[in-house]
Amino acid sequence: MELSTRKTLDRAFSGTGMFSICLMTASLLVILLPVFAKGIKAFVFRETIENRKMILEQFHRGDSAALDIEWESARTARQPVYDAMQAFRIELDTLEGSRRRELRSSFREVESALQSLLGPEPGSTLSPLLRNRYGQTRWDRAQVKLQQVLFREAWDYSRPGEAGTRQWIPRKQTFAGTRLEPMFDHLETKLDSMLQPRWTFYWRFLSDDSRDSHLFGGIWPEVLGTLYLTIGAMLFAVPMGVIAAIYLTEYARPGRVVQILRTCISTLAGVPSIVFGLFGLAFFINTLQVSSSKSVLAGSMTLALLILPTIIRASEEAILAVPRTYKEAALSLGSGTWNMILTVLLPAALPGILTGIVISMGRAAGETAPIIFTAAVSVGKPLTLLQTLTQPTPALPWNIYNLATEHAAVEEIRHVQFGMVLTLVVMVLILNATAIAIRARIARRMKG
Amino acid sequence: MNRKYTRFTAAILGAGLTAVTALAVGDKIVIDGSTTVGPIAKAFAEYYMGKNPSVNISVSESGSGNGAKSLVNNACDVATMSRPMKAKEKKAAEGAGILPVEHIVAMDGIAVIVHPSNPVADLTVDKLRAIYTGTVKNWKELGGPDADIVVISRDTNSGTYETFETLVMKKEKMAGKTEYVGSNGASRQRVTTTPAAIAYVGLAFTEGVKAITVDQVVANHETVLNGKYVLARPLYMYTNGRVSDTTHVGRFLNLYRTAEGRRMIEDVGYVPLKN
Amino acid sequence: MPDSRILNVSRDLVLSRRASQIQRLTSLLGRSFLFMVTSVSVLAVLFIIIFITRDAFPFFQIRGFREFFTSTHWFPSGNPPEFGALSIITGSALVAMGAAIVAVPLGVLAAVCLSDVLPFSLRQVAKPIIEILAAIPSVAYGFFALVIFAPALQEHGGIILTVCLWMLALPAALLAATVISDLVVAGIPTSRRPAMRGICWLTLVGGALFALVQGSGHLLDLTISSGTNALNVSIILGIMALPTVVSVSEDALQAVGRDLREGSYALGATRAETLVKTIIPAAASGIAAASILGIMRAVGETMVVWMASGNAAQIPTPWYNLLQPVRTLTATIAGDMGEADHVLGSARYHVLFAMALSLLLFSFGSNFVSEHIGRKFRSRQAGG
Repeated sequence: MELSTRKTLDRAFSGTGMFSICLMTASLLVILLPVFAKGIKAFVFRETIENRKMILEQFHRGDSAALDIEWESARTARQPVYDAMQAFRIELDTLEGSRRRELRSSFREVESALQSLLGPEPGSTLSPLLRNRYGQTRWDRAQVKLQQVLFREAWDYSRPGEAGTRQWIPRKQTFAGTRLEPMFDHLETKLDSMLQPRWTFYWRFLSDDSRDSHLFGGIWPEVLGTLYLTIGAMLFAVPMGVIAAIYLTEYARPGRVVQILRTCISTLAGVPSIVFGLFGLAFFINTLQVSSSKSVLAGSMTLALLILPTIIRASEEAILAVPRTYKEAALSLGSGTWNMILTVLLPAALPGILTGIVISMGRAAGETAPIIFTAAVSVGKPLTLLQTLTQPTPALPWNIYNLATEHAAVEEIRHVQFGMVLTLVVMVLILNATAIAIRARIARRMKG
Repeated sequence: MNRKYTRFTAAILGAGLTAVTALAVGDKIVIDGSTTVGPIAKAFAEYYMGKNPSVNISVSESGSGNGAKSLVNNACDVATMSRPMKAKEKKAAEGAGILPVEHIVAMDGIAVIVHPSNPVADLTVDKLRAIYTGTVKNWKELGGPDADIVVISRDTNSGTYETFETLVMKKEKMAGKTEYVGSNGASRQRVTTTPAAIAYVGLAFTEGVKAITVDQVVANHETVLNGKYVLARPLYMYTNGRVSDTTHVGRFLNLYRTAEGRRMIEDVGYVPLKN
Repeated sequence: MPDSRILNVSRDLVLSRRASQIQRLTSLLGRSFLFMVTSVSVLAVLFIIIFITRDAFPFFQIRGFREFFTSTHWFPSGNPPEFGALSIITGSALVAMGAAIVAVPLGVLAAVCLSDVLPFSLRQVAKPIIEILAAIPSVAYGFFALVIFAPALQEHGGIILTVCLWMLALPAALLAATVISDLVVAGIPTSRRPAMRGICWLTLVGGALFALVQGSGHLLDLTISSGTNALNVSIILGIMALPTVVSVSEDALQAVGRDLREGSYALGATRAETLVKTIIPAAASGIAAASILGIMRAVGETMVVWMASGNAAQIPTPWYNLLQPVRTLTATIAGDMGEADHVLGSARYHVLFAMALSLLLFSFGSNFVSEHIGRKFRSRQAGG
């Protein structure tokens, strides 16, 4: 081969390496960017007056006097809509048979679309369901609903043997000549003043309870549940992991027993997470009966087993990285082994151990499969500390799955789903950034 | 001195923890079971917690079978199910000292849904079965566009699946290519994004898709209640023993008889029973 | 530890006999306490095996082994039920294979790049990226696969695949053309070489471009009937397995040591030659272990496959057709566990444990293999 080709090959080889790293970065961006871009909409969005009203009534926050004034002007703007509907209802009865039937069913659709856009008509009985008491709380969703009022989706199946084509039929056309007709133009032009949208930063998305299964409010029960589960898992796993690491590094003599221990630890690290879930159900709940049903306690224990190997390994590495001279100096000064471990070894190894702990916290926070059978439910209140011993909790990872696949209104609450994913990812990223920062400090200390 | 202090604290903490665990920690109602009944349970829970802020109601939607299992294991207060309890399950309950009491809370129709662009508007039960067994493979055979049918079913652990299996499949088996999804919401979502898909869901889940008629009957509240629509079934809640109105569980459960309860059932898309 | 023994002796001299006994006792107690805590992980593994096997065993008692491993009929709730898990096992294997195809080449190349090519400062940037990839929760990946990737794949699948094809194949084709034309002209007199090489190169590149255009024409025509399929899951699982593959193979590459590299450079090899001919073969067992760990991660993953694999219990036709939905062991356990405990002795409950047991055995097996390889690798490193 010629030298130039060899050089080309050499460069190409480095190039493919770089390419693969770039590809990795790209895939990270492709995954994270939509999550950030759409997740942020759960926090920053244009809220309508319906949202302000809902927050005031449900969460008792906001300026009620100011809202009254706004509400008054919104009501004035809405009045012509309701007047037109009232007038049309009377007119409807005067129409002749076939046209009346046709318009009545179409009018019913208009009514229900309007209700979900603007909230219940004044004077109608209140539904016990929250979702029927308020109009659209978000301006972007209101636009979608407006389309549903203005247009009827129809499908043209006239070409046999082929898929139908979608058509949007303006309802103005359907109701042409009736007293409802002017309502559509009015609605289209005046929706602004009817809903009074305004940009808002809803940081309380994190700290508000959810109302009516996540159609309103925030994700506090999920956030809290995730925190409980993570911290609970840490409470079990950290002492056990650090003690095991101390034993393995300081006490155990190489031999068959240690070999078995190590094999078991790496085996445990390889057990699929769903198997942990099955085991947690069969062992902690059905056999040990730590709680009568799913509970945070059982979930934490299951998660603790899952992250135990990570913590043991990280702590072991951290302890082994402590220079021998530290230990020997302490021992030669007359310190006992335990005393040496507590006063010299652990403090010196602490940053390394912390890194391991922080990283496994991220893992525990994000795991779903182990908590499906042991701790997670789709609806529940935020728990108090004592309730965690006996009660299950909503948790971010499970509820992301639940809302994305099982919720009745998947599309309407996309922003909540993305908001949850964002929250979870940011939680995990913060934990990892902490770990990276700690490690950088260790590296600096080692150098200096 | 230091060590003594630590030991002391540990003792106090330990004692405190045990004492506290022994105490009841507020009222709670644990509900487990069907995703189909989930919306009703969640609406009821929300409503009841609004009226009784001291009660914590948690709702899991993990499938009817799981609900029965939880009730048998005494792990839940109310099991929501979209099929009646099986004899085996009842026997297991007896063995565990549990007496399952059945409450029919509402009716539900199983709507067969396709993408709105699909011109097929009606299927007979036999055709439906042919689609799910894989003998009919292309929409062309049913007068639709030339596209392979993407067959979507609920997971085998759901009551919806079992009802569909009894009412439609009649001992025949679904084809291997059938895609299984975990919930009604997921079925609908797959159909909205897939022009060639067919799926079956609870009546409450037909927004954005096209519900086709079965044997020329539209699935709606009337046809479900009067039995004309064949794919209809009752929805159940099970409790351990009879529950009295004085307990939270009892009052929660009996919501389905109240005017508000019936309104909620209707609002989430199901059919409240006549009285 | 001679020093501590001296310490003990000196203490014995000072302390009373009784006190020393107490001390020895506490030390023994402390030590056994530590041992007990350490063996929690052993106990956990043991209990996991016992509990899973205990519940898996009845299944094989009731239904035997044959159906489970040879039939593709998965109708757990049918009447009579059928429990053929073959298609589900193949599903798991298929997505794991797909994930390996994505993760192993990319991961090894990235590891090589990290350990030998990139300067220190860039490495400091690249490492956190890999860590973040590893840290993103699986449910977030699953959500992405279901909500963003699946619809995109379904609507613009042809375009996405074409772009991928060009991105991967074009550089590879250019490189191959260069090498081949170089090899072809090797026997020709020096004066005519540049011209010949040019012609040869152009023909090859032209041919490759033609093939690519043809191929992308086919790809663009492709209709993907459902975006939740094996391909979707394979790609996402591949991305999830990448960090494991990268970090473990990088460790292996680092462990090879400077002397081999310097020896190779001294003989006049370029960096690529050094890496391909010397370093990678030397680290091969470590890289194999890394790949096994990566595949293990893909097989054991639940949420992504549950949400985005389509969950159809079938063996795709032809079997390598990744565009069809499949069902995996983990997703079946998660999705089917609803029907559980109460109907004691029901095969339907125990079959899930049989699946868990298969998963467990697989992970034990691959863990053992990767440990074994790793140990051999380390001992060879230590031996020189």
